[in-house]
Amino acid sequence: MPTVVLMDVSLSMTRPVSLDGIEEFQRKNLAVHGLNMLFEHMASNYRLEFTALMAFSSLWELLVPFTRDYNALQEALSNLEDYDKTCLELALQGVSSVVQQEWGNGCPCQVVLVTDGSLGIGKGSLRHSLQTLKHRGDDKKFPLPYPFPTKMFILCVANAEELQMTDAMENLEELLRLSGGDGQIFTVDGPLCMKSVQAMFGMLIDRAYSPFHAVLHCGNLSSDVQVFPRPEPVVVDEEVEPIPRAVSTDLEIVGFIEIADISSPPVISRHLVLPIAVNKEVDEVGTGTTDELEEEPSASQMAGKSPNFCVLLHGSLKVEGMVALVQLGPEWFGMLYSQADSKKKSNLMMSLFEPGSDPLPWLGKISHLGPVSEAAENPYGEDDSKSPFPLQPQVKRSYAQNVTVWIKASGLQTDVQKILRNARKLPDKTQTFYKELNRLRKAALAFGFWELLKGVAELLERECTMLPDSAHPDAAFQLSHAAHQLKLASSGDSQYAAFDHNIVPMHTDFSS
Amino acid sequence: MKMFSVAHKTVFVVDHCPYMAESSRQQVECDVLTKSRAQGVIPLAPVSKSLWTCAVECSMEYCRILFDVYPKDKLVNYIVSDSEFHILNTWRREDQSTHELMSALAAVGPPNPREDPECCSILHGLVAAVEALCKITELQHEKRTALMDTAERVANRGRIICLTNAKSDTHVRMLEDCIQETISEQNKLAAGSDRLMAIQQCDLVLVHIYPQGEETLVSDRPKKEISPLLTSEVHSVRAGRHLASKLNILVQQHFDLASTTITNIPMKPTLNVCEQEEQHANTSANYDVELLHHRDAHIEFFKSGDLHMAGTSTRENGVKETMTLKWCTPRTNSIELHYCTGAYRISPTDVNSRPSSCLTNFLLNGRSVLLEQPRKSGSKVISHMLSSHGGEIFLHVLNSNRSTLEDPPSISEGCGGRVTDYRITDFGEFMRDNRLTPVAEASHDPSGKLPVERAKAQLERYTRYWPMIISQTTIFNMQAVVPLANLIVKEALTEEDLLTCQKTIYNLVDMERKNDPLPISTVGSRGKGPKRDEQYRIMWNELETLVKTHAGATDRHQRVLECIIACRSKPPEEEERKKRGRKREEREDRTEKNGSKEAEDKSWQESERLKGLLEKEDQESEVIKDSPDSPEPLNKKPRLISEDVQPPERAKGPATLLSMWTNRITVANSRKHQEFFGRASSVNSKFELYQHLKEENGMDAHENGKATR
Repeated sequence: MPTVVLMDVSLSMTRPVSLDGIEEFQRKNLAVHGLNMLFEHMASNYRLEFTALMAFSSLWELLVPFTRDYNALQEALSNLEDYDKTCLELALQGVSSVVQQEWGNGCPCQVVLVTDGSLGIGKGSLRHSLQTLKHRGDDKKFPLPYPFPTKMFILCVANAEELQMTDAMENLEELLRLSGGDGQIFTVDGPLCMKSVQAMFGMLIDRAYSPFHAVLHCGNLSSDVQVFPRPEPVVVDEEVEPIPRAVSTDLEIVGFIEIADISSPPVISRHLVLPIAVNKEVDEVGTGTTDELEEEPSASQMAGKSPNFCVLLHGSLKVEGMVALVQLGPEWFGMLYSQADSKKKSNLMMSLFEPGSDPLPWLGKISHLGPVSEAAENPYGEDDSKSPFPLQPQVKRSYAQNVTVWIKASGLQTDVQKILRNARKLPDKTQTFYKELNRLRKAALAFGFWELLKGVAELLERECTMLPDSAHPDAAFQLSHAAHQLKLASSGDSQYAAFDHNIVPMHTDFSS
Repeated sequence: MKMFSVAHKTVFVVDHCPYMAESSRQQVECDVLTKSRAQGVIPLAPVSKSLWTCAVECSMEYCRILFDVYPKDKLVNYIVSDSEFHILNTWRREDQSTHELMSALAAVGPPNPREDPECCSILHGLVAAVEALCKITELQHEKRTALMDTAERVANRGRIICLTNAKSDTHVRMLEDCIQETISEQNKLAAGSDRLMAIQQCDLVLVHIYPQGEETLVSDRPKKEISPLLTSEVHSVRAGRHLASKLNILVQQHFDLASTTITNIPMKPTLNVCEQEEQHANTSANYDVELLHHRDAHIEFFKSGDLHMAGTSTRENGVKETMTLKWCTPRTNSIELHYCTGAYRISPTDVNSRPSSCLTNFLLNGRSVLLEQPRKSGSKVISHMLSSHGGEIFLHVLNSNRSTLEDPPSISEGCGGRVTDYRITDFGEFMRDNRLTPVAEASHDPSGKLPVERAKAQLERYTRYWPMIISQTTIFNMQAVVPLANLIVKEALTEEDLLTCQKTIYNLVDMERKNDPLPISTVGSRGKGPKRDEQYRIMWNELETLVKTHAGATDRHQRVLECIIACRSKPPEEEERKKRGRKREEREDRTEKNGSKEAEDKSWQESERLKGLLEKEDQESEVIKDSPDSPEPLNKKPRLISEDVQPPERAKGPATLLSMWTNRITVANSRKHQEFFGRASSVNSKFELYQHLKEENGMDAHENGKATR
């Protein structure tokens, strides 16, 4: 989930903060300090996150486009300049276009807005934007909610009391609500100082940037893994199940399926599954001392040399062209597979299915998938020539069962012509003739379209009179028999108009 | 869409009163004469559908689309109303099919025009519809049971679609009032019942149908709230195709559907989309097919506001939009795992038209088609895929945006990435053994475990002892162990299985007796690996470890373990005995310096020392070069020439082509000349020269056939 850091560089950010009279800081310095801490954390624990840095005042500027180079981000932070007033709406607009340009509109994004809570005055201020929300044309819509799923984190270099003195807090809460509500407003606890700002950013890190560690199990084989990006909790049905479901930290493989059988299933998200060394798990927040940095390569080299289940699993999934079905929680499943990128680097990936007992109709209920060994006969065949998948639905869909639809005149005409065409080829086409005739009869009875039955009966009688001399004598018998039966059905007489009744070919001496 | 939105329950109430037997006055020419037969034949007079027929076939089309797209839990209850109401089906899942409904409709038949209009009313049906909405569905019941104390989260909403011929706007208002009244009555009733649920929301969609060429007596009215429980909207529509397109729009609105038109479908014979049946088989035309599906398949376009670009078009009636996607060649193959963000069932709008059925048959035969999104820039973006899974066609949405997971560290750079001897093939085999298969819900396991739990239990059993790398294991590198290894993981063993396991063990004992080489890995250990004895010890230990993890399962598993313990204890003893025997001989030959007490000690020390020595030696080499302390090898006796050239122990190992060739040549050559005396009587290809000198000195020339210094 990419992150956009939106940094307020308006003049109000330069307001001085006195720290026990020792040193004077600007709020900006505190914010930069906090962001540096965030970037350092990400560099060591959340390296794969793409982050962009934007600065805004009355205008906005993309300082660093999406990158994993956290040095570049920190560098840009150290070169921030001060500008004029705050105009949030334009900046939010900017975020929208920057994100969509890079990732399209389906990719969930996190927006980290760092400000001091003074949100501008007059036109362009957040208050003004929110007040005029409902009186806007289509061309000047407020940028929120974004088309992409958004997590909005608002970090105020100000304490809650300060914000509540004005309507700033209210406005920010409204902003959060507009963004979709998934996010949080953080304020400084207590007086402004390095420590309290650090604590605030620490809360953001815990909330959104702590790596997701889990254990991948396959029976007694297991591996510690990091799942990246963090799998987000999912709300299945806001009414029936309003509590979001979270992915368990124990990922249990339940079995394996061929790629062709799972066949490009829809997924709600994709994640890298990276094996981690257990002893490394302790340093959650990178303290970043030089000693540790020197030790790390040797530790990771060690880890590289001891066998890891993920690597084995990945290798075999890749070679065999299979996926592993993995349970993420109660009635929630996903799949593990090998994914190669354009550079032929390959990785273990996990995709999450929609929570529920049967996310993929062609597999059926996942809880009802059992081991092959239980089947009396191997459903894959002795030579892997068969497969128990896909599951066939109990009822065929309309397009798979030759339904009769006469909404367009052409549909009706085609069906009548089909009967006549076969009528002319009697007795060779006796079977097809009666099959088509019965199909038409059934539909006409269901639709209460008795007039059609009479009409077709007349047509058949006419065909009978027009039979050439060379025609087989059986043809005339069958035609008049069919016409008679249709007429009987059109009378509505329950004996002849039963839906499940079929007109059967007349038994003649010619038909043997 | 919420699970229990109004879309969960739809009641169709269709008017079956005498006036519905009236003609729609839309005529259908069903006797289309071909030119060649046209002469002298009076064509059949065109037929026309009654209002009833129009209503029924359009409602069936609504249901057809609904059941195609939502085969489960979007339910329809069909009611027909004349002098009384006739409920044609129930909410039960097995009643939800057009075939069931058609059969029931056939039994009802068209309205009887001679029935007394005074006794007939749509009201009977509407009251029955409200009652039906109060009835609990299977899904509602299941969820209420599952949620227990939060059962109130299961809502009861529904929609009534009434197809009728109303007399006036006042008549419509009267119907609305009546429904409102019935809802409050029924809700009171439902409060005291377990099988009924109070209605929380009801949407009434009243469709007034009138014949072509007549003026409507009822005016259209958009959705309005009659009460907090009831909303109502009125559509006044002419029978025939107007009614059909109205219901088509309604089904899309009611179930969040959207339309996609697939363009450029090649109906060339080469592509096999259509059989070569067209009259002009040589001309290849491109066809369009319109499909309906959940509108989330278009979510990207909706969000980006691109819906009004080149790809979309608005229909003549201005209500419905369709998104155009282009058929794309080349096709995709099934073993490719696309990143797919959604898959939605489709239903063709014009199901039995030729292009539609060609496309659907093509897909039902198991082929997939990629679809391209037209873009202003002209760049090619593949955004969707049509594919069938088990007789159902799905529109897959493919991700066409940049991935946030690009350029990840390769798995070979991470933990365990440097290890090169993973048992990839064996694990592949393991995965095949642990593939899943659907198990019928009916087949109940005595343990009461769900199939998926049994699958997990099997994985647990199969992995109790599963070394991940080749150099960590001996037994899994041995073909001879396979039968046992495959059987021991089973939950229960048959008598036959037990026998196979025992045979495997005996076979191993046999191998040991014959001193067959084992595939012990030398990776990691310095030198040339452990000695044969030690190899077997390692192998037996490992086998015992494997079987021990399963021994507790059943009696037969235990017996396999017992068999191993029994068998492996013998050979080491034998070896020991042999060794001691040899020692004794040796000692006898030497001077009796050592006491018998020390003998055992020494033999132990020697064997330890031997092990150390052996680790430095080739594991294939059985011949111990003359070290003074080493016990005499059994086979160190003077031999015949040919045997010496080809030592038997080497023959056990796989013979190389070179050795075979050399042997052949040597044997051939040996026939051509008389062997030197020295070589012929040599020991280990050594022959002491000037033996006569020693003899003259009166010393022993030989000790155990070995030359001494």
